[in-house]
Amino acid sequence: MNKDDLTIGRGRFIAGGLAATAATFASINVIAAPQKTVVVGLNVPQTGPYSDQGTDQLRAYRLAISEINAHGGVMGMQIQESVGDDTTKAPVAVENARRMIERDGAVMITGGSSTGTAIAVSGLCQEKKTIFMAALTHGDETTDINCHYHTFRRYNTAHMSAQALAKTLLTKYGTGRWFHITADYAWGHSVYDNLVAVVEPKGAKTVANVLTPLTTTDFSSALSQAQAAKPDVLVITQFGKDMVACLNQAASFGLTKSTKILVPLADEYMAKGVGDNIDGVVTTAPFYWKYHSDKYPAAKKFVDAFMKANGTPPSNGAECAYVDMYQWKAGIERAGSFDPSKFIPKMEGYHFTATKGPEYWRAFDHQGINSVLVMEGVPVKDRENPFAFAKVLEEHQGDAVAIPQASTKCKIESA
Amino acid sequence: MLRLVNFAHGAFYAIGAYVGLIVTQQYGLAAGLIAAPIAVALFAVLFDRVLLRLFYDKEPTAQILVTFGVAIVVEESLRFIFGGTTRPFPLPESLSGSFNLGFASYPTYRLLLALGIIVVVFAVWLFIERTDYGLIVRAGVRDRTMVQLLGGNVKLASTVVFALGAALAGLVGAAASPIYSVDPNTGFSFLVPSFVVVVIGGLGSFWGAVLGGLIVGELGSLTTLFFPAASDVVIYVAMALVLLVRPSGLLGESEIIRG
Repeated sequence: MNKDDLTIGRGRFIAGGLAATAATFASINVIAAPQKTVVVGLNVPQTGPYSDQGTDQLRAYRLAISEINAHGGVMGMQIQESVGDDTTKAPVAVENARRMIERDGAVMITGGSSTGTAIAVSGLCQEKKTIFMAALTHGDETTDINCHYHTFRRYNTAHMSAQALAKTLLTKYGTGRWFHITADYAWGHSVYDNLVAVVEPKGAKTVANVLTPLTTTDFSSALSQAQAAKPDVLVITQFGKDMVACLNQAASFGLTKSTKILVPLADEYMAKGVGDNIDGVVTTAPFYWKYHSDKYPAAKKFVDAFMKANGTPPSNGAECAYVDMYQWKAGIERAGSFDPSKFIPKMEGYHFTATKGPEYWRAFDHQGINSVLVMEGVPVKDRENPFAFAKVLEEHQGDAVAIPQASTKCKIESA
Repeated sequence: MLRLVNFAHGAFYAIGAYVGLIVTQQYGLAAGLIAAPIAVALFAVLFDRVLLRLFYDKEPTAQILVTFGVAIVVEESLRFIFGGTTRPFPLPESLSGSFNLGFASYPTYRLLLALGIIVVVFAVWLFIERTDYGLIVRAGVRDRTMVQLLGGNVKLASTVVFALGAALAGLVGAAASPIYSVDPNTGFSFLVPSFVVVVIGGLGSFWGAVLGGLIVGELGSLTTLFFPAASDVVIYVAMALVLLVRPSGLLGESEIIRG
């Protein structure tokens, strides 16, 4: 070893020593003033057919968390996120939630995009006595037959959508021959059952219901059948990328010109993916950034903040995620505790106004009761923003369209 | 010939889809269909020369891992650059309608695609079976050393074959995207069925791949028609049955599997 080596060695030694000393003091500092944090689990699909919706919900959660933390957190605790990609698969969603609860100590799980994952995570959260604020899940089951004491769902249900659509379905779509292409899992079945229950008693005839698995990329065999059946109405009960593929392929089969198309639930990302093919198509949504921000100052504040942070307006799932985070915070603060047994009674029957008109949490099934929009897609040339995809035809109040207590299949636990 | 299981083939498809989309938006579909295979072939040559050549002599598991790793890197890079949103691939008005076949009408673009695939399949077949270069390729499959001793440049031929395969994946990526749309995950959704096609047809067999493709396509469509619940699983059942009866695939040669 020559002298130069020694010199460098000594220099490194001194630098290393200084760094170690600095690190020691820094860590003492951290120990002396520990950050009070509370962990929440954000369980959304970032890959798979519903990844656009999951990613947008994540943006909204992060916006809400940063706002809440900047204003002192929840009961003085800063919110810390534990994020999981549920890949739109129930087993993955459950494993993520389990990890968030057991390893990271999450006191609340939220997220969604699929009723399949929501039902599975809801079951786990009931077992673990952990709050689950289910966000984007539209199938009735989440707060109906599979309802749980620890789960709250604010997003509209399939029943609400179908009831809200009833008038438009009969005036615009008529009672002719209906052909359904339906996603083959809890949500698709729920939407199909609800639509059929609305239109068949009025005389509509269901000619076929072709079920397709989640992540279908080629709908040609279902669409060929639809083409051969020559229906009056084609109902595409698909969501996310599956809906984009199905509607675009329906257009290539000429079905958007020959048949009236109905997409029972859509959002901004799906509309962007199908371009002009959604022109004239009727759909429903619980929130539409353009409509609500014109009407409600709180919605405008949220939409502006979201656009500033992300460059795009929020999709309807993102709005639900944002409000869910604030609703959880408010519930915890009313309860004065993170204990679910104190939080839940403070949520049940609670009335509030957030980004929409007045709304409330129903006590018997933990369903959020808020308005439903019936919308109609507009062509791309008429959109001032790629996400301004529709015009609002009607707004229905939640109570008028939700499953009445007398018909619910929900038998909620007492704890 | 390459004796390589390439799990990055789906990534080639995805790159082709994005290149095709970008070029089509600027210069039209024809330009997109030309640019995609060229860009993907160049990427493949780079990938082959920089990384893959280090794994030529390694066991198949190492090759699978490295190609799978590259596929993940490509997917995440596409997500990083273009975002995760599904992008529609617009078709010119003249191709977006449907064509009346007499007994039914069928999307014009799908018909053209089917014809295009037949043309491409025969072009590749002619290249392999009827050209001098194809002769080196076919001989290289049998005995690399002998071809080299006879003066054939097997190394170059391997790169050409690899680039050609990649170019075809890129072409299909651009050509199929008006039907399937474009998103970063698009490569993986085609990778697994493609692997099933090759295994059913027989690894290393040209007509095996064509036959496997027809079988997988028809099985998927017919099952969706008559028993949709099984449409996801049917191709794997078919693969398992074929492997039980003919472990080297329908038209495969057992020697190639061992290689």
